[in-house]
Amino acid sequence: MILLFVSLFSFSVNSNAKSITLGWAAWDPANALQELTKEFTAETGINVNFEFVPWPNFADRMLNELNNKGKTFDLLIGDSQWIGAGAVYGHYVKLNDFFNKEGISMSDFSPATVYAYSTWPKGSENYYALPAMGDALAWAYRKDWFDRPELRSEFKKKHGYDLGVPANWNQLHDMCKFFQGREIDGQKRYGAAINTERGSEGITMGVTAAMYAWGMEYENPNKPYDMEGYFNSPQAVEAVEFYRKLYEDCAPPGHSDAYMVANLDAYKSGQVAFQMNWYAFWPGVSKEDSGGRVSGFFANPKQNVAAATLGGQGISVVKYSDKQDLALEYIKWFARPDVQQKWWDLGGYSCHNDVLNSPSFPTSTVYAQGFLDSMGIVKDFWQEPTFVELMLPMQEAIHDYVVNGKGTAKEALDKIIAEWVEVFEADGKL
Amino acid sequence: MSVKKKFKGLSDKAVGWLFIGPTVLLLLAINIYPLVYAIKMSFTNFYANKIGREPQFIGLKNYIKVLNKEAIWEKMQVTASFMFWTLLLQAIIGLGLALLLNRKFKGNELLTTLIVLPMMLSPAVVGVFWTYLYNPQVGLFNYVINFFYDFGSFDMIGSSMLAPWSIVIVDTWMWTPFTMLICLAGLRSVPNYLYEAAEVDRASKWQQFIYITLPSVLPFLLLALLFRGIENFKMFDMVVELTSGGPGSATELASINLKREAFEKWKTGYSSAFAVILFVTIFGFGNVYVKVMNKIKER
Repeated sequence: MILLFVSLFSFSVNSNAKSITLGWAAWDPANALQELTKEFTAETGINVNFEFVPWPNFADRMLNELNNKGKTFDLLIGDSQWIGAGAVYGHYVKLNDFFNKEGISMSDFSPATVYAYSTWPKGSENYYALPAMGDALAWAYRKDWFDRPELRSEFKKKHGYDLGVPANWNQLHDMCKFFQGREIDGQKRYGAAINTERGSEGITMGVTAAMYAWGMEYENPNKPYDMEGYFNSPQAVEAVEFYRKLYEDCAPPGHSDAYMVANLDAYKSGQVAFQMNWYAFWPGVSKEDSGGRVSGFFANPKQNVAAATLGGQGISVVKYSDKQDLALEYIKWFARPDVQQKWWDLGGYSCHNDVLNSPSFPTSTVYAQGFLDSMGIVKDFWQEPTFVELMLPMQEAIHDYVVNGKGTAKEALDKIIAEWVEVFEADGKL
Repeated sequence: MSVKKKFKGLSDKAVGWLFIGPTVLLLLAINIYPLVYAIKMSFTNFYANKIGREPQFIGLKNYIKVLNKEAIWEKMQVTASFMFWTLLLQAIIGLGLALLLNRKFKGNELLTTLIVLPMMLSPAVVGVFWTYLYNPQVGLFNYVINFFYDFGSFDMIGSSMLAPWSIVIVDTWMWTPFTMLICLAGLRSVPNYLYEAAEVDRASKWQQFIYITLPSVLPFLLLALLFRGIENFKMFDMVVELTSGGPGSATELASINLKREAFEKWKTGYSSAFAVILFVTIFGFGNVYVKVMNKIKER
């Protein structure tokens, strides 16, 4: 009888407990957020359930959920490119009134992140997300190898400058090639683990890191969606050719369909001197330095201009949620400067100015300065509602050229433009 | 009123309809209706993700677009090549294994079980673990090949020349047992007296194979190849896990391309037209094949 009473009582307590569900990708920062959120639950009594989806399925899972008006998630930390679809198709709650009511000012956050993660149309004052996780594509390298006198002198003799953080992509190539096939401590090593993944967005994120540095623009700044001569400019063509050269000369064997995890694995197993990856992974990489491995980090090298591929996400309230008030409560809590500081301390990348402008920030970790540098030069892929349709032809054409060795870089870019024109025409933009 | 009484007045025809009714309804709902709907959509510019936009009738434009698109013909070529090599290899190896296992020897049952194991696995799982076997640095496949002849480092999945073979090898490894089982059933149905008569007539083993075994087993082999052909025409999961259709589009089969057009680019009208073309193709080939098979059986 007592047991029955206790179980009935606990059921009644559980059913009355407030809870919300937050969806994000399954990666290191998600674990940090889970840890941070314990404080939110302690303060408010609202339980937060997490559903973390592996990266390869992340976009499919979340976008299908939104397209089906699903109620699984109350909060969603969605990719920057989704903001257009989130706003236009009404998946995300517009947050302007809430921000005004709660005194949350977007000027308290890094302008690049507000522009990229929160606004639609771009640069407007319509906010559909709070910048949650700043990120950009960057590089990690084996500083312990770079510090070896015999390697330094050999490199200097060969190239006439010091082995160190590359000043541009040509130097990056020199250094990667220097390590390609080299035996260090009895093991064969390779140059760089770069993005080559075909299925989702990997190779596009990788190749655009080079294209932006060469000065590529997606469209005519004075005539939107006019891409001819911009996206396939001679500089853009050169960048794509360079990326293929980097893949052919410096990637480890079998690195033909690699993205975040594969790059991390190649680096952690000691195969490569460099890895291209998101800042989100650097806390883990830095923490796991052991057995003589010392990692250094640097922002995307410049070529013609300083630029980096934008990653990162904003946190949005899902329009179809029945618990929008609780979800907004979470956003209000997350926007607090003290919470943002703890977010950075735990390994998340805060976009709050109080955190980023703090005098101690650049030296707080070995990658903090690089992060600051990167966030000032980020560029993003199309953030149109049709971004998936725009991403797919680029994935195919670039992979076909870089990995498959088919055709020329110019042909690949022309093919992408032709497909994009079709997408914009179908969307009524052209 | 009892149930018995209630149904007492029903004719045989009505009872028949009562039995097949649910099946017919289910078939209409999950097969016929989607097919008709897809045909209807194929004449429109419908995008399933563009909420609130009414599809417009555009006639045969989608069909013309599909048939004029060079990339589509490339995917069809990749699919045809994949089908040709997998069916050829599975026919030869499957028949060979069936002939071997048709003999009585110690361990026959165990060997049969081991050979059949791959087809019990999930294609997605097979795709994933073969990516490890094909790994140029630590993969067993490369190690075994290099054990016999040192080719050096080669990347089965990353090379445009080798990737199409990588999917052919995996499909053959996985599905040859199926062809073998069907052929084995055919071999075991051949009456022994035919061979005994041939022995009496002093026919050689080769003549027995050509004039007795092969004609007897051929209808079975053709049936197995029909099933495998239909399956491989719509092959998806194993190849997606193994190569994602890459490098570039070197292994992007028609079915993978169709999925990308329909559920990633959301070109519903266009992909419906593509699906109808694929359906007509496989239906046409299937019909011709069955007619040929029946003629062979009649001989």
